[in-house]
Amino acid sequence: MRTRNGSVGAAESPVTRDSGDAAGRDQRPGSPGDRYLGIGLAVALLALAVLAVTTHRFLSLDNARAILASAAFVGIAAIGATPVMIAGSAVSLATSQTATVVAMLFLATQQLGLWTALLIAVAAGVALTGAQGAIIGFWGSNPIVLTIAAGFAIGGAATWFSGGTPVNPAARGFDVLNSAPLGLPLAVYVLLVTTAVAQWSLRRTTAGRQMYLIGENRAAARAAGLPVGRVTVLAWAFFGACVSLTGVFLAAFNTSATVTLGGTLTLDAIAAVLVGGTAIAGGRGSAVRTLGGALLIAAISDVLLLRGYSTGAQILVKGLLVLVVVIAVHVRTTRGQR
Amino acid sequence: MTPSPADRPLGPYLRVEGLVRAFDGVPAVREVSFAVGPGEIHALCGHNGAGKSTVVKLLSGQLTPDSGRIVIGGQEVGFRDRQAAQRAGVALVDQELSVVPALTVLDNMLLGDIHVPFVNRRRTAAAECRRVLDDMGLGRIAPDQPLSALSLGERQLVEIAKALSQKARLVILDEPTATLGDVETEHVFAAIRRVAGMGCSVIFVSHRLTEVLGLCDTVTVLRDGRSVATTLAKDLTVDELIVQMLGAAPRRLSAERASGQADARALRIEHLNVPGRLTDFTLTAQAGRVHALAGQLGGGASDVLRALAGLHPRATGVVTLHGRPIPFRDPVRAAREGIAFVSNDRKSEGLFLGTSVARNLVATRLPALARAGVMVPRRERRAARSLAERSRLPPHRLDERVTALSGGNQQKVFVGRCLDDGRVHALLLDEPTRGVDVGGRAEIHRLLRQAADRDLVVVFASTELDELLELGDVIVTMRDGRIVSRYEGDIDEARLLRDMTHGALEP
Repeated sequence: MRTRNGSVGAAESPVTRDSGDAAGRDQRPGSPGDRYLGIGLAVALLALAVLAVTTHRFLSLDNARAILASAAFVGIAAIGATPVMIAGSAVSLATSQTATVVAMLFLATQQLGLWTALLIAVAAGVALTGAQGAIIGFWGSNPIVLTIAAGFAIGGAATWFSGGTPVNPAARGFDVLNSAPLGLPLAVYVLLVTTAVAQWSLRRTTAGRQMYLIGENRAAARAAGLPVGRVTVLAWAFFGACVSLTGVFLAAFNTSATVTLGGTLTLDAIAAVLVGGTAIAGGRGSAVRTLGGALLIAAISDVLLLRGYSTGAQILVKGLLVLVVVIAVHVRTTRGQR
Repeated sequence: MTPSPADRPLGPYLRVEGLVRAFDGVPAVREVSFAVGPGEIHALCGHNGAGKSTVVKLLSGQLTPDSGRIVIGGQEVGFRDRQAAQRAGVALVDQELSVVPALTVLDNMLLGDIHVPFVNRRRTAAAECRRVLDDMGLGRIAPDQPLSALSLGERQLVEIAKALSQKARLVILDEPTATLGDVETEHVFAAIRRVAGMGCSVIFVSHRLTEVLGLCDTVTVLRDGRSVATTLAKDLTVDELIVQMLGAAPRRLSAERASGQADARALRIEHLNVPGRLTDFTLTAQAGRVHALAGQLGGGASDVLRALAGLHPRATGVVTLHGRPIPFRDPVRAAREGIAFVSNDRKSEGLFLGTSVARNLVATRLPALARAGVMVPRRERRAARSLAERSRLPPHRLDERVTALSGGNQQKVFVGRCLDDGRVHALLLDEPTRGVDVGGRAEIHRLLRQAADRDLVVVFASTELDELLELGDVIVTMRDGRIVSRYEGDIDEARLLRDMTHGALEP
């Protein structure tokens, strides 16, 4: 409950910061509100940690492995969604459908060999998602509306393509994706590498830096002649690649693909990004934060699972967690900006 | 609205006495007094910065005065917000329309009206709306028409009708005709005369001086935050009004400025058109000189700059910069060809407010500070320092958030971002010193002069006489989206103001 106190304190500070533009007066950042927020979040995390370590079997190597493994699939897609959100095009509501189609393609092309199948699958994901990015970036289409439409179209295509029956692979080259070098599932390594690549690209490449600027103030970016369209497409294409990787791992894990394979991936990925504290309005956030968000959600689900709560309770807590973070972080940032 | 002049003693309905209001210690209104009688149309004139909008905000409850009295109908009032003003019978028709295009005429009238009960009878409201529209001679507008089906002028008329339906006794019109054509303006005036005829007091704020004299009974002129004269309109000519606005004898500025050599390095604009906003604008802006586009709100100066920056979706014409064509509708290519644009809205179309000063300064030239798409921090640092130095920003504040700076310094960051000589060949600025204090303004003017001295093309749009005269080597006056005249060297302040306000040519 301390988090709530923290967020209330924080909500007051941006008001004063907002007026910093009034002529003549200089103001400095780092208000007490920020401090309350930090303290509140720290206390909340500590409470969770205490809850976790007092849970039987939580502090075991096996369990840590389980948390990482369960964070990996959603995490990879969420890392991909991070630049999209930072660049200010909100979220995609077509994530699970895209992952499903990619998974089907991947399994259906297994006879061409693992690498060819992988290439086809990722290329398809990048093309599908990048095309949405182009429409959003160059034509200024609303991402929510567009991705809802795209989700229906892609999901429909998947149903049509598979005839409603599971797609089964003709060869089993994909088994290598289910391996666990050094005791950790391959997907965990891919998650870590993806995080590192995204983090570095966002901070250090021109395109990454432009994503922050465009997300922060799209009108200003446009008036300044920044390549808004191109950078938006790039963010979405990267997202497409990440979703494809998730789709491929899902396919390998399930060894067959049905139209419901993607499940709740769409909202899970958004939840991980939000819990990490990336601003849904764009302009701030990072891949490492998203990784933290994905791990936190996985850890909490794990605690609840070990304590014998049902799936329903896990989903409920996930929802509450997103809500708390959204109030604590996002209300603050959006007020501070506008 | 039912006029009842009988139950009130004669004398002014509104009396303003010794109004004072400052912002952060800077006075915007120093001493304003005037009175408006029932049924009188009273104009407030004065050029930009004279304090007109502050007075309007004080009267409509958006600001509270530091001292002075506002007396309405014999009672001193102190409004805390617009609702309170509305309760006292004051209605404001804003510069920017506050009507909602998607709603019907009736809904717009009900919107924000404090007299509307939470549960209301639509039929009664519609009848009342019909009556108010008829009162204004607007029989052709139906209450159930969506506003989007009406022209801009008709929407303005609905705004006025809305003010009337709120039982207003004092209607304040702030630049109601800035974006209207002549015919529409005439309709609005007819409506205003009717409103006054019903006993309502009207305050009319406008830059268009001929209109002011044609419409109003009395004119109060504001200068530097003071009311300097109140005169009957029939005793005034436009030229006398201009003299009142400028104070003493108009200054005549001599040509002591550098006269640049005509050469091929220029921004050539031919037959630039923006439907509904700009008509056939042609200008050759030589490198090394500062060009001023002078015009009031809606005059088209701002549209010239936006079109050149690629931000006007419907612009047509031919533009070349140093011989190379600049495409329309493409801000990315305009920037690549060397056009840098400083918008008049620093907050929403300028700075990246959540980011540091340094990152704002280098925001537009990241590719130049990278190797193979990867940023080189050392180069970035050096670029930020040199731009800060050139734009006279304190180097120790580079890592602070840009919102921590004062308005003047923020504007310097915005302008400083464009002072990248390798890449920028033409600097276009819309109101370069809006919301900037006097010191910051002088520094920004110096930056622009220096940019011109380094052989950049500098074009700026402004509504402020002082700024136009101080900075412009060449001044182009505009009105209603057209060029009125072009001045070089010897420029007469009064003539400039006359061009901008009522477009008369050679006397």
